[in-house]
Amino acid sequence: MPRTTTVESPGCPPLRALTTDVLGLVKVIETRGEQSGASAKVVERWGDPDSSKSVLAASILDRKKDPLLGVARKSGLIEVISVINGDLRLSIPNVCQDGTRPEDDSIVGLHLFKKQRSESSTRSCTLLTCTTKGSVRIESFEDIKSPADSIRDPSPTTWNACRSGSILCSKMEEHENYALFGGKGVEVNVWDLQKCTKIWTAKSPPKNSLDIFTPTCFTSATFLSKDDHRKFVAGTYCHQVRLYDISAQRRPVMSFDFRETPIKAVAEDLDGHTVYIGNGSGDLASVDIRTGKLLGCFIGKCSGSIRSIARHPELPIIASCGLDSYLRIWDIHSRELLSAVFLKQHLTNVVFDSHFCTRDVAGSAPEPQDVKKVPCQDEDEAMPTKRKKTSKGHGDSRSKKPKSRKTSKEN
Amino acid sequence: MGGKRKKADGDGMEGGEDEDSRQKKMKHKDSILPSTVKNKERRSAAHAKLKHQKKVDKRKTAKAREADEKRALELGEELPPKKIPRTIENTREVDDTVCKPDDEELFAGNDADEFSSILKQDCTPKILITTSRFNSTRGPAFISDLLSVIPNAHYYKRGTYDLKKIVEYAKNKDFTSLIVVHTNRREPDALLIIGLPDGPTAHFKLSKLVLHKDLKNHGNPTSHEPELVLTNFSTRLGHRVGRMIQSLFPQVPNFRGRRVVTFHNQRDFIFFRHHRYIFETKESKQAESKGKNGKDGKEAKSKEKVIARLQECGPRFTMKLISVQHGTFDTKGGEYEWVHKPEMDTSRRRFFL
Repeated sequence: MPRTTTVESPGCPPLRALTTDVLGLVKVIETRGEQSGASAKVVERWGDPDSSKSVLAASILDRKKDPLLGVARKSGLIEVISVINGDLRLSIPNVCQDGTRPEDDSIVGLHLFKKQRSESSTRSCTLLTCTTKGSVRIESFEDIKSPADSIRDPSPTTWNACRSGSILCSKMEEHENYALFGGKGVEVNVWDLQKCTKIWTAKSPPKNSLDIFTPTCFTSATFLSKDDHRKFVAGTYCHQVRLYDISAQRRPVMSFDFRETPIKAVAEDLDGHTVYIGNGSGDLASVDIRTGKLLGCFIGKCSGSIRSIARHPELPIIASCGLDSYLRIWDIHSRELLSAVFLKQHLTNVVFDSHFCTRDVAGSAPEPQDVKKVPCQDEDEAMPTKRKKTSKGHGDSRSKKPKSRKTSKEN
Repeated sequence: MGGKRKKADGDGMEGGEDEDSRQKKMKHKDSILPSTVKNKERRSAAHAKLKHQKKVDKRKTAKAREADEKRALELGEELPPKKIPRTIENTREVDDTVCKPDDEELFAGNDADEFSSILKQDCTPKILITTSRFNSTRGPAFISDLLSVIPNAHYYKRGTYDLKKIVEYAKNKDFTSLIVVHTNRREPDALLIIGLPDGPTAHFKLSKLVLHKDLKNHGNPTSHEPELVLTNFSTRLGHRVGRMIQSLFPQVPNFRGRRVVTFHNQRDFIFFRHHRYIFETKESKQAESKGKNGKDGKEAKSKEKVIARLQECGPRFTMKLISVQHGTFDTKGGEYEWVHKPEMDTSRRRFFL
């Protein structure tokens, strides 16, 4: 009897991920179950399919209470929605005002600030947007309960990050003091957000032995570690991964080639030296950036370009998504495919909601009300969430143990 | 083998329900396996005996089945259910990318994709056909066949232009698709179909090419718009490829022309055929109607039997998808929607289209 079923993937511990796609949908993927081993499923879908609302950039404000997700759409609209129930909190119409159409000057980077810029109220939201032509804008909004009664900050900070070329990637440092921008014809440059000044620009690598100069084109970038804004990794169109160190030199400290298609996504690990890279033909690999050595590839029939990689803040898990419309969840130690979900559209971004645990989903009906109550019942709410978190922590350690054992066995 | 059999026996011992299989096993044990015989003559004799036995058994079961059916037919009972042979197609691996008819996201995705303007008949397809740099013998012949198959197709000499330049040129001239026929050793071996103005690019391997003039008893196609038959494009990727192929042809067939172009997908191979058909009316034979009742006979007499006949014309070839690229042709910086990778070929029952 031939095998007619697919091989079961081992499943992953309880987690919650959100993906955005080209039709402007936001989908919530969850794995539930007490023990690790449940397969991921789509639990919710927010928005209606509309190609003009295609999501270009997304950013999550991953906090314990009232987490938010910002999505930048193709039409120039930026929306901030609640991660818990998908309520629209804030919608900012077309940000570019100088007569350019949103198609010409689309948003490539979006970031929701974790720390509050203005200390006036807890219900404010600050976001940074960056467009292809390089206009960067930091705006804050007060009182974001519903899209109707938000107050826009009258004086947004704006500047231009590039004079020519187009920006393709932007990234915010963990402490949110510095941001980097890079793109086609734009060398990577780092900006100090407090002073709005450019503090550093990269220099293109010298011509090679044949006197051929490769034009600059950065497609993805990420800061290497949480505490250090000086080191970052950038992936280029010419399938090169480069490590830059601001304190050392303007040329890359190290660079190496990875396969044959452009590097489309780069993500850093928590340990500060492992980097995950994904390219245009669907190869995903982890690399030790200190030596530039390939640690291993993530193999799992991934056939379409990888657009986004996300590292889970606590669990040893990464998620990748891209043009093959699958969300794949991988174990970082064994590099094993834990789960794959087919999401029907070309995906653009994936983010993790790390403050999710299965127990509060069990009573999911009253949850939205809880969220609304949050501001007035701060004290009451804080206790259970804390408890939940600690219990979840235990679960993690438990789930981690067998995995580590497994890896040791393999070795 | 031995180990496996032992295990099976063990199972039989455990449960009483496996009695039948156990008996069969016992039977097998009585007849010696030919592979265990060392003498060649005896071995071949044993093998022949076994084979004969199998043949006899098969005929017996077939006869029994036929008899059952006949009896059921006579008694007016329900016929025993017909068994469906297990093929590679119907035992294919479960695939969650298979399109479902009630999937609203699929339709929304269709409306948003690159081909929707052609398929909604907002604009008519206009095809540019060109070749690889070096081109001779069967290449041009194949292209002239393609020109006869695809309406509103124009052949341009390749010259020494870059493909990216050609894509630009075709965009400016309002072409909707670009087909590049790649020849290797004077034999067309690959087909590149580029959707314009913004992708996607599909790369096909081309094989088993039989040209129009090499076909026996081929017909000559007319210049009417053909009907298009696309079968078995079931998954999302297949759906996309199918739509891409569909966008090469005008969406309003001229049924007067009685031309059919078929793209049939089977096990990820896309078979191309081009036919003419005709409906011929023939009077049904008298003998048939006589056997039946008088009333029926009268009706049958007036009835004319209509039969459809096919005549193949135009080229015949097989395509296999190698990659689908997002956007127009760009080998260096291309982003793939789907690439065939060797690690996907771990099962014979996994298909992607």
